[in-house]
Amino acid sequence: MEYRQKLFDKLSVEQVKIELLNTAYGNDQTFLAKLDPRTLFIWYLFFGFAPWFIHNQAILLGMFAFVVVMMLIARSSPLIIFILCLGLLGQGGYLLLAAWFFGGDLSTIMPLLILTMKLSIISLASISVFTSMDPEKLSDGLLKVGVPGQVSFSISYAYRMLPSLIEEYHHVFLSFRLRGKAPEKHGILYWRSIAYFVKIAMLSFYPLMLSTSKRARTTVEALETKGSFFAFNNPKVKAIKLAHLTFRQRDYWFLTFSLLYVISLFIFGILYS
Amino acid sequence: MTTEQIKIEHVNFKYPGGEHPVLNDVNLTIQKGAFVAIIGGNGSGKSTLCKLINGLIPHYYVGDFTGSVTVNGLDTKESKVADLSHHVGYVYQDFDNQLVRARVLEDASFAPLNFGHADYKERGKRALELTGLTGHDEEFIWQLSGGQKHLLALAGAVSLDPDILIMDEPIAQLDPFHAKEIYDVLKMLNEQHGKTIIVIEHHTEFIADYCKEVVLMDQGNVIWKKPTADALRLVEQLMERQIFPPQVTQAAFKLDTFSNKSYPITLSEALGLFPNQVGEEVAAHGPTNNSERAGRQSIVEMEQVSFAYKTITRSKKTVLNGIDLTINQGDRIALVGNNGAGKSSLMRLITGLVKPAEGKVMVKGKNTRECSPEKMADFVTYIYQNPEEMFIEDSVRKDVSFFLKARKVPEYEKIVDRILEQFELTSLQERDSRLMSGGQQRRASLAIGVAMNPSIILLDEPTANLDIATRKHITRLIGTLKDNVEAVLVATHDMQLVAEWANRVIVLKDGHVLHDGTRESVFNNRELLDLAGLNPPQIMELSRGLNMSPVCYTVDDFVAAVNKQFGEENNDGIQTKII
Repeated sequence: MEYRQKLFDKLSVEQVKIELLNTAYGNDQTFLAKLDPRTLFIWYLFFGFAPWFIHNQAILLGMFAFVVVMMLIARSSPLIIFILCLGLLGQGGYLLLAAWFFGGDLSTIMPLLILTMKLSIISLASISVFTSMDPEKLSDGLLKVGVPGQVSFSISYAYRMLPSLIEEYHHVFLSFRLRGKAPEKHGILYWRSIAYFVKIAMLSFYPLMLSTSKRARTTVEALETKGSFFAFNNPKVKAIKLAHLTFRQRDYWFLTFSLLYVISLFIFGILYS
Repeated sequence: MTTEQIKIEHVNFKYPGGEHPVLNDVNLTIQKGAFVAIIGGNGSGKSTLCKLINGLIPHYYVGDFTGSVTVNGLDTKESKVADLSHHVGYVYQDFDNQLVRARVLEDASFAPLNFGHADYKERGKRALELTGLTGHDEEFIWQLSGGQKHLLALAGAVSLDPDILIMDEPIAQLDPFHAKEIYDVLKMLNEQHGKTIIVIEHHTEFIADYCKEVVLMDQGNVIWKKPTADALRLVEQLMERQIFPPQVTQAAFKLDTFSNKSYPITLSEALGLFPNQVGEEVAAHGPTNNSERAGRQSIVEMEQVSFAYKTITRSKKTVLNGIDLTINQGDRIALVGNNGAGKSSLMRLITGLVKPAEGKVMVKGKNTRECSPEKMADFVTYIYQNPEEMFIEDSVRKDVSFFLKARKVPEYEKIVDRILEQFELTSLQERDSRLMSGGQQRRASLAIGVAMNPSIILLDEPTANLDIATRKHITRLIGTLKDNVEAVLVATHDMQLVAEWANRVIVLKDGHVLHDGTRESVFNNRELLDLAGLNPPQIMELSRGLNMSPVCYTVDDFVAAVNKQFGEENNDGIQTKII
């Protein structure tokens, strides 16, 4: 009972909202968060894509170590890391079982483990980068590298609306609970209760759609009066808006360090193999 | 100061796809520096009129438009909405959707940035300073209270330094304390910065205190524009359109002693005009009704309950502390206190949706800690502040049936028919609840609650966001609830509702029960009212100011009391006439 209660506390809609917002906006004081978004883009361009083309285990291991350190520096939300580990372990375990079942041994599993390793590097790199950029920073960064104003605005606006939407979803969900009838018996492994919750979790989305479209009217009118449509692709506005983005010393240091690390990793990896 | 700033001439407007024109040959002139209230029933065209001024009509709503609108010398037909934004700021009724950025300063400086002002941050800061939001720059919008969000929406409108500010129902969702705060800001902008202020407002008592002129609209026409005092004294014309003048004005109107129609419109005026009674001072602390309550069956028992929730920053915030409370059969409780006093949390504890951090909540002998909300729903109904969040089906009838159907109640259709009848929803039963008017939605939410046949019904701000006529209607319907349920608990800022309906008042402040007693014990205790930030109905203030005993709760009570007194005095041969 006690444990179940605790688990439910962690899984509540409210908790999910808090974690999401903290992931999005909470970490603005870390080293990574103080970097220019373009620095992070460049870094991510390598660590997010290069692993697909690297097959050297030593290099991959070195990159993995680097992104783990990055993740620690970025202070990612424990919930996100937990979900990631769950996914990776699940996948690893499934591969192991499959390999075993079809009569494979360690040599069959090895390539599969390498794939998992690549996925981990990419996921950890993504988590570190996106925890370190709040949506404003991300959208400013995108605007700077030439993405249209509408897109970058939509990203920051979506995050602004997220808490209200989650709250409204939560209320509708609770409405179902306050008037509905939960199954009398939980069923084997709680399947009845789980089915009941999954059902109302899905039904709760429908009422949201209409209310969102009603909200949108005021928002669009407000955007019109606040001159957003005029501003989206106006070079002057863009320049003023992005004036605060500059490469500082720490950006150069970080990129140089990453570059040196990767180069030495490659030299070491090739020599080692 | 007599320049004509806004000039609307012979305007007709019909929304695209609409059947009837929303504006019918409208003519209106507003001077620079005016403080104007626009009044009128639902659908009289108030919001449409305001959207003429900032150019959303005819540029954004491309309907059938004829006539001309000039603002600061600009013809709105020839100017762009964006250009007009430098002259007109607009704050919506659903201002929440008007805030588009995540942080306070970002939102306030959004418009100046869009128009390419290099000093956009300074402009934003200045707007925040004007609206009293300094120091919140880096806060997130979702951390703000309702009142602060409203001020931020105003800051966003002020940021371009327009000459004209329009606010659509500025105080509909606020408690009296925060409502006054908003109007004080508007007054300051009007008097010290020379802004023209236009508000759409139902609360005539605020109009009397703050506005200089009143525009009456009806069915797309501007009927007249008059100075506030003259306007509010036209009691008959206003009442005909379901607009209720300040209570002191209504009282004077009903007493035939005011021959020349010089009715008072504010409390201070009224205090000088009505006869002072030298009745004995009412005991400051009236009796509580504890003794009377003893012996009745209890429905809810709370023992040393405390409650805290997690905030965005992952810290715990305590909202309720050491609450001891028993709700008995026959209680009609009003739960009052400022925004954030813990009213909603207290109600949610009773529903079992949230569990207390300490102490226990017993409902009908069941501990909420051990029961799911679905189980508690057999005894408790909670009606949300925003009715839309209760609508989970696509028609009123289905929503009302939901609970009964889920529990397979035999012949539930008959029960549903009866309830739809009781709440005057029979003709609306096939409509989608979310597309109905505010008052209809509220009725539907009450019907949903009653259909659950609970022992206790909890209502969160049932009269908020409604015009006064609808509010009276809902108050009457809430009055009929006592025939359906054993106890009713209403969280509200509406002191009129408290005065007319409650038989027990619980005052919350900062998570504590400050007072629990009869309405007399609350309304006769000045210190308590001030401490909890409560504003009693105007008529009650008046009768207390005149030392009347007992204090009157409604206009009719007051009129009857004064008439009776006149009668007595006349019998003594003393002639009284108020001029």
